[in-house]
Amino acid sequence: MKPFRALVLAGCVAALANAQQFQFNLDHLAAKASETVDISLNGSMLQLGAKFLDPKDPDQDKVKKLIGGLEGVYVKSFEFQKAGEWTPADLEAIRKQLKAPEWSKIVGVKSTAEGETDEIYLRSQNGKITGVAILAAEPKELTVVNIAGPVDLDSLAELGGHYHIPKVDVGKQK
Amino acid sequence: MDWLEQELKAALAREDPPADFAGRVMRRAERPVVYQWPRWLAAAAAVVVLAGAGMGYRQYRGEMAKEQVMQAFKIASVKVNRIQTHVLEVAR
Repeated sequence: MKPFRALVLAGCVAALANAQQFQFNLDHLAAKASETVDISLNGSMLQLGAKFLDPKDPDQDKVKKLIGGLEGVYVKSFEFQKAGEWTPADLEAIRKQLKAPEWSKIVGVKSTAEGETDEIYLRSQNGKITGVAILAAEPKELTVVNIAGPVDLDSLAELGGHYHIPKVDVGKQK
Repeated sequence: MDWLEQELKAALAREDPPADFAGRVMRRAERPVVYQWPRWLAAAAAVVVLAGAGMGYRQYRGEMAKEQVMQAFKIASVKVNRIQTHVLEVAR
């Protein structure tokens, strides 16, 4: 009976646990940051939020369509008053977790002049996308995003245009 | 007089009220009448208040979740868009 109880308990714990696919461990930066965004939304919170999105609002309608099927969205973003507050080791600790065969890096941009590093990783299982990791680092800013679930990157990028940012279509431009 | 008559006489015999009966009646009459709500009404009111509070809390949580969802996707989309711009700049 005891193993059965343990199994049921483990199942319940697994169901309640958040769906975050890698650890951020960036809390030490919060004290140095001038602005911190820490968003942790599991599947049930996403669905609850989706119910309150207004389909008449184009931004909210797009987001509502993106949310369907997602298991969680986790964001940590820090803005600093001066450069050098975050270290490459902070990024490396995250990169170490984003390894093949589970994860694959699809974009990596490093600008030495501007001190920027941008990376996008896709998590896939059985040929299907099951998650996205975004690392975006600037001298005075560090952002890490994990979207758990089958996210459509094109739709996500399209949102950029909706947020009053010029939309960039990589496929159509040379 | 048969036994029934005797019983009735004994039962209906005049009795003097206990001492201070009139005083007690007067004092009670002077006290303000306190209306007591039926218990079921109080319970029903409590249920309505709790249900209202629950709905209000759910509304609050939903609005908070919505704001967080919008902010999370705003940050993610802005970053993806910026990365696309960088890729284009490198490709040119």
